[in-house]
Amino acid sequence: MHSLIRPNAWVGLKLPSGSTKVIQLVPDTTISLGKYGAFPANLVLGRPYHLTFEVLDKTPDESFSRLRVVPPSELHAEAIAEEDEAEGNAASATNGANQAVVTATEGEEFSLVDEKGNVVARSGREVIDDSAIQTLTQDEIEELKKEGNNAGKDVIAKLMLSHTALDQKTTFSLAKYKLLKTKKYIRRFQVVPIDVASFAQWQLEEKDASKIMDLRAEMFGLVGCWGNVHFGGEDSMMDDPHSRTDQGEETCVPVQPDELKGRWLVVDDTCGMLVAAMAERMGVLYPKEDDDEEPMVPEAKEEVKTAKPTQNSVAHENADVEMSDAVPETTVPERPKTTATNKKQKVRPKGSDFVVPLSQTNTLTVIHSTSQPNLSLLNYWNFDITAPNHPPHPLLNHLLNLTWLQLLKPELDTSYSTPPPTASAEELASWKPSRRGNFHRKRRRFARTRYIVDSTRAGNFSGLVSASSMDPISILKHTLPLLSGGAPVAIYSPSIEPLAALADCFSVPRRTAWTSGNVPETAGKSLEELERWEGNEQFPLNPTLLQGVSIQTSRARRWQVLPMRTHPLMTERGGADGYVFTAWRAKPAEGRVEARGKFKKIQPSSSRKAVRTEEDSTPAETPAATEEDDSATAAKRKRADTLPSLDTEGSSAPENVEAGDVASPTKKRKVDGEVEV
Amino acid sequence: MDDTMAPVTRNQAPKISPFLEPGKTTKVGSLAILQLSRDNLQPVYLQAPSGKHDGYAEGAVVNTRYGSFPHSTMIGVPWGSQIRASKVDTGSRGRNNKRKRNKSDDDGKEGPAAIPEAKTEPESTPAEVIDDSSAATKKVVADVSGFIHILPPTPEVWTSSLPHRTQVVYTPDYSYVLHRIRARPGSVLIEAGAGSGSFTHASVRAVYNGYPTEAERKGKVYSFEFHEQRFHKMNKELKEHNLGGLVHLTHRDVYSGGFLIDGKSPEAEAIFLDLPAPWEALHHLSRRNPKNPGDKDWVSPLNPKRSAHICTFSPCIEQVTKTVSAMRRLGWVGIDMVEIVNRKYHTSRERVGLNLSMDRGVNNSARDVDEALARLTEIETRFREHAAKSKESDDEMDGDDDGGLIKMREKKELKGGKRRGGEKKVKVDHKPASPESFETPASGVPLWMEGRLITRGEPEIKTHTSYLVFATLPREWTDQDEAAAASRYPVVGEQKVIGVVDKAARKQERREQLQKATGNRKARRMERAAELAVTAEGTAPEVVP
Ligand SMILES: C[S@@+](CC[C@H](N)C(=O)[O-])C[C@H]1O[C@@H](n2cnc3c(N)ncnc32)[C@H](O)[C@@H]1O
Repeated sequence: MHSLIRPNAWVGLKLPSGSTKVIQLVPDTTISLGKYGAFPANLVLGRPYHLTFEVLDKTPDESFSRLRVVPPSELHAEAIAEEDEAEGNAASATNGANQAVVTATEGEEFSLVDEKGNVVARSGREVIDDSAIQTLTQDEIEELKKEGNNAGKDVIAKLMLSHTALDQKTTFSLAKYKLLKTKKYIRRFQVVPIDVASFAQWQLEEKDASKIMDLRAEMFGLVGCWGNVHFGGEDSMMDDPHSRTDQGEETCVPVQPDELKGRWLVVDDTCGMLVAAMAERMGVLYPKEDDDEEPMVPEAKEEVKTAKPTQNSVAHENADVEMSDAVPETTVPERPKTTATNKKQKVRPKGSDFVVPLSQTNTLTVIHSTSQPNLSLLNYWNFDITAPNHPPHPLLNHLLNLTWLQLLKPELDTSYSTPPPTASAEELASWKPSRRGNFHRKRRRFARTRYIVDSTRAGNFSGLVSASSMDPISILKHTLPLLSGGAPVAIYSPSIEPLAALADCFSVPRRTAWTSGNVPETAGKSLEELERWEGNEQFPLNPTLLQGVSIQTSRARRWQVLPMRTHPLMTERGGADGYVFTAWRAKPAEGRVEARGKFKKIQPSSSRKAVRTEEDSTPAETPAATEEDDSATAAKRKRADTLPSLDTEGSSAPENVEAGDVASPTKKRKVDGEVEV
Repeated sequence: MDDTMAPVTRNQAPKISPFLEPGKTTKVGSLAILQLSRDNLQPVYLQAPSGKHDGYAEGAVVNTRYGSFPHSTMIGVPWGSQIRASKVDTGSRGRNNKRKRNKSDDDGKEGPAAIPEAKTEPESTPAEVIDDSSAATKKVVADVSGFIHILPPTPEVWTSSLPHRTQVVYTPDYSYVLHRIRARPGSVLIEAGAGSGSFTHASVRAVYNGYPTEAERKGKVYSFEFHEQRFHKMNKELKEHNLGGLVHLTHRDVYSGGFLIDGKSPEAEAIFLDLPAPWEALHHLSRRNPKNPGDKDWVSPLNPKRSAHICTFSPCIEQVTKTVSAMRRLGWVGIDMVEIVNRKYHTSRERVGLNLSMDRGVNNSARDVDEALARLTEIETRFREHAAKSKESDDEMDGDDDGGLIKMREKKELKGGKRRGGEKKVKVDHKPASPESFETPASGVPLWMEGRLITRGEPEIKTHTSYLVFATLPREWTDQDEAAAASRYPVVGEQKVIGVVDKAARKQERREQLQKATGNRKARRMERAAELAVTAEGTAPEVVP
C-alpha cells in the first residue's frame, strides 16, 4: 500500500506553515493550496508519497503551474549548513578567521548560503517585517511572487539583501546563492498517505479532536497492543447453503463455533477512527494492491466519473461480494460497467440469498447504540457502510455490526425476528423486477443479520477494544461473557474517572468478599450463571472475570533537534490526556478458592479456614511490583499496610471483633514467615 | 560470521505460534504465562506428564510462593483459567534436587519456568488423557489454598516476563514505535539488535499476515544480533514459540555487515534500530550506495517501491544528534524526535472519617469540618462535666493548674476517638453474625464501597527510557519514472478546482449534486460525500508524518 499516489486517493498535503490539507486527488482537477499556489492533480498522480514538491511559476506559454521535486539535500540544507558552520566556527575561532558570517538567532526565518553551504546572510522575522519591507512594498512582493522565476525565493533574497550590507561586501548574484527555510513564501508541499497515523493526527490537531474522543497516537499504540489486535488468520468464508427461494430460515447456515477465530469486539464512538485503527492492524483497511503497479491509463480515466473512487484500483480476492441490502441488480450501478459485469459473472450464478459474504476469521464486530453505526471516517478509506452495492473493499467481508438490542434482546429486533419471505420460482418470475429485487434483498439481509447476531452471541472473542462515551461498566457487563478465556480487554477513555470506577469493580475487598462466598445472590449459581452476572449495587460486575486490571497513560514529548538548539518543544497540545484500562478475561475455578498469603488465622473454624490476603489476588489498587525482586517485596509489604482489617490486632481493639468471635478474639499471626521475605 | 538461521522446513506446515493464535485451551509443549500476582508473570513451557520428573511424582511442577502447580493441572484448560495449587510432596525429594528447586522458587525471573528440557510431545494432550498416559504419574490432589491464573502468551506479557539478556523495549515505547513506523500485516521489518527479543515479538505480531509460502511474500521480521550467545538463545526461543518462519535472525555486526540476506535485499519498509550507534548502520539503509550513487552492484535492503519508515532508539541526546545529522545527509525526511513517558495508575478507596472502622489504611481523622465540629463539641461537653465533677472532689488541689486539665482533655480526646468508633461497632455486633462480618463495617456501607474512589500514580515512574527518532525515506524517483508518470497522467485543460474554493460556489455545487441524485439513499450518500469533502479542507497546526 501507499507506494504511488493513486487517482482519487485521499492524501494529506503538508504545507510549509506546518499545517496539513486533506484532499481527494481527483484526476483532471486543479488542487489549490491558497497562498501556496495551485497545480493540476495529474502532476502528482502516479508519483511516490513523501516527496516534497515545489509549485513553480507558470511559464508564459502554459496555463498552469508545474511542480519540481525538492531534493532532501535542499530541504535540510540549512540544518546541514548550521552543523558545518558549528564545526567551522570552532575551527575558525582558533584560526582567528571570521568570514562574513552573520550570527544565528533563535527567531530567524531565512538564511542565504552559498554553493558550498556557507551561510552568507540570515534574517529575523522582524527585519523582514520592518526595515526590509520599507524597501519592498507588499505589492512589490506579491508581484515578485507572481512573476518571479523561482517561486518566491528571489523576493526573499532581495528582501534580505536590502537590509544587510551584503551588497556592499560581495558582488551578489542570485544564481549563486541558495535560500533556505523559507516558511513564508516558499510554495512547497509534501504528499503523505492517509493512513491511521497521519489521518488521526490531522483529525486531532487540525480538525476536530472531539470527533475521535481525543485519541492520540500513543493511545492507538496502547489500545492496539494491549488489545492484542492483529491479523486473525486466513479468510474462511461462510458456506453457501444453496437455498431455494421457497426455502426459509431453516436453510440458513448455522454458526460453526469452531470456525470462528481471530475476532475482536469493538465499541466505537469515534466515528470509526478506532475501527480504522484496528482494521489497519488486522490488514483489512487497505485494498490489496498488486504490488502497487498502477492500473493502465484508460481505466484510471474512467474512474473519474464515478462517485466512489478506487474501485478499479482495488482488487481484493473476496471482493466479489455484496452488502446485504444491496440494491437489486436491475438498478443501474453507479460504477463502471466492467466491474459490474465482472461481479455478476462471479457471484450471481452461484450465490443463493442465504450465503453470507463474511469471513469467519479476522473480523471486527462493532456493537452500536444507534440503529446504524456511525463509522463515517471510514469514508476516507473509501468504505461507506451505508452504501448499497459497495465496490470491493476488504472491510466488506471483515466488518460485522449489530446493535445492543440485537445482541441482548434479538427477539425484539425486527430484522432478526421477522422470518425471510419465500416464493416459488414461478411466482418470482411473474413479479416485476423491482419487487423481485426487494424480495432478494430482504432474504439476504435476514441471513446476514441472523448470522451476525448468532455468531456474536456465540462468544469466544479474541479481545475487546473500546473507545466509547458509554459507561464502561455497562459495556463490560454484556461483553465479558462473550470473551474467550485469556482474551485481553483494552478500554480507552479521554478521562480517568470512568476507568477508575471500572477498576474499582475489581478491587481486592470486592473480590475477597465475592470469593469468600458471602454474597447471598451468588449462592447456588453455576460458573456459567455467574459469568452472566447481571450485577447489583455492590457488585456491578462479577469481580473474578478479569485479571491484571491496570490503568495507564502515555505521552510523547516532542523535541526540536537542531545544532546547538536541541530542546523539548515549548508548547504542545493539551486537553484530554487519555487513559487505557487493560485486563485479561479470567476463568475462575469452581467453588471457593482460598488464596495463600502471609497471614493465616490460628484457629481454623469450619466457616473460615484461612483469611484470604491481597497477596494472591491481583488487585487494582496494589502498587505495581517493579522489576527487581526487592522492590516487589517492598511493594507487597506496603500493600499489607493498606489492607483493611486483616492485620488488625484484636487485643488492642476489642470493639472491632466480629460478633461470633467476641469470646475468642481473632488473633492472626504470620504462619509462614519464609513467604514474607 | 553470517550465521543465518535455517529457514523453516518447507514440507511441514508450520504450527501457528501461540502468540498469534493460542487456541481455546492450553496445550502440551506450548508456552504459557503464569500470572502469580498482578505484576508477577512467569513463563512456562507446558510438559506432558511422563512419570516422575525432577523428583516429583506428579511430573513437572512449578513451585511458587502461592503453592505448587503440577503441569498436568494446567494442560487442556481454557486460557485464563484460575488454577488451584496442588498438594505436592516436596519433602521426599532427594537432597540432590535442592539447588534446582530453589532456583525455580525464585519467581521465574531467571527464565521460563526453570523446568529442564521439555520433551515436547508432538501434539496436544488434552487433560482427560493425562491419567492413562502416565500411569506412573501420581494423581494430583488440590491443596486447601493458593491459586494462579494461566494466560496465553502475548508480546505484552512476554515483555514483562522474558529472561532479560539486555535492556529491553517495553510496551509503551514499542506500541508507539510500531504505530509510527507503519508496521502492519504484510510489512517487512528490519530490526537490530535483537537483544532479548522483546521488540521482536511485538513486531512479528504487527507484520504477521500468515506464514510465508514459496509463492507469496508475507510480513516478516529480519532481525540482527552480533552477540553470539544472545543470537543462539534467541534463535532457540523463536523456535520454541513457532516464530521461526516469521523472524529471520542473523548473527552479524550490522555496522560493517549491513542488512542483506545472502546478498539479497529483504526489501524492508520499516526499520527499528536499538543499537549504541545507529548512525553507523544508517548508510546501509539507503536507496543507493551513498558513497558512490552510480554503483550498480550495490543492493539496497529497502523495498524499492515503498517509502521506508525508520525509528532509532537511543538513551542519550548525543546519540540523537549524531543520528539526526546522519539522517539529514542521507536524505531522510520528516525527521521527528519524541520521548514517551508512561504512567500507571492505581485506584483505591480513600477512607477518612471518625466513624469508620479502625482498619489499617483508614484515616481516623475528621472527614469534614462538620465532623470535626461535632467531635470537638462533644469533647468539650464531656470535659466540662468532668471538670465540674473533679472540682467537687479535688477542691483542695488548688493551685494545680491548667496543665493537668489540658492533659486530661487530650487523653479524653484520644479515648473519645476510639470509643466512638467502638460504639458504632457494638451496634453491629447485635446484628446476626456473619462469619466474615469484618467485611461489612459499621456504616452499613460495605468496605469496598466505603470512602472516596481515588487514583494514584505508581510509586516509581520511569521518566526516561530512550529518545525515539523517526524519519521517512521516500522511494527513488528518477527522470525516467517522472517521464512515465507524466505521460500516464497528462495535464488536461479546463479543470475543476479542489481545495480553496469560495463557500458560495461550494454550496451551489452541493445543491446541484443533491438535485441530480435520484432517490433518498443516493442523496444521503451524496451529502455524506460532500460533507467529507468540506470537512477535509480546514488547515491548522502541524501533522507529523
Ligand atoms: C538494547 S539491546 C536491544 C534490545 C531489544 N530491542 C529488545 O527489545 O529486547 C541492543 C542489542 O544490540 C546488539 N548490538 C549492538 N551493536 C550491534 C551491531 N553492530 N550489530 C548487531 N547487533 C548489535 C547488542 O548485542 C544488544 O543485544
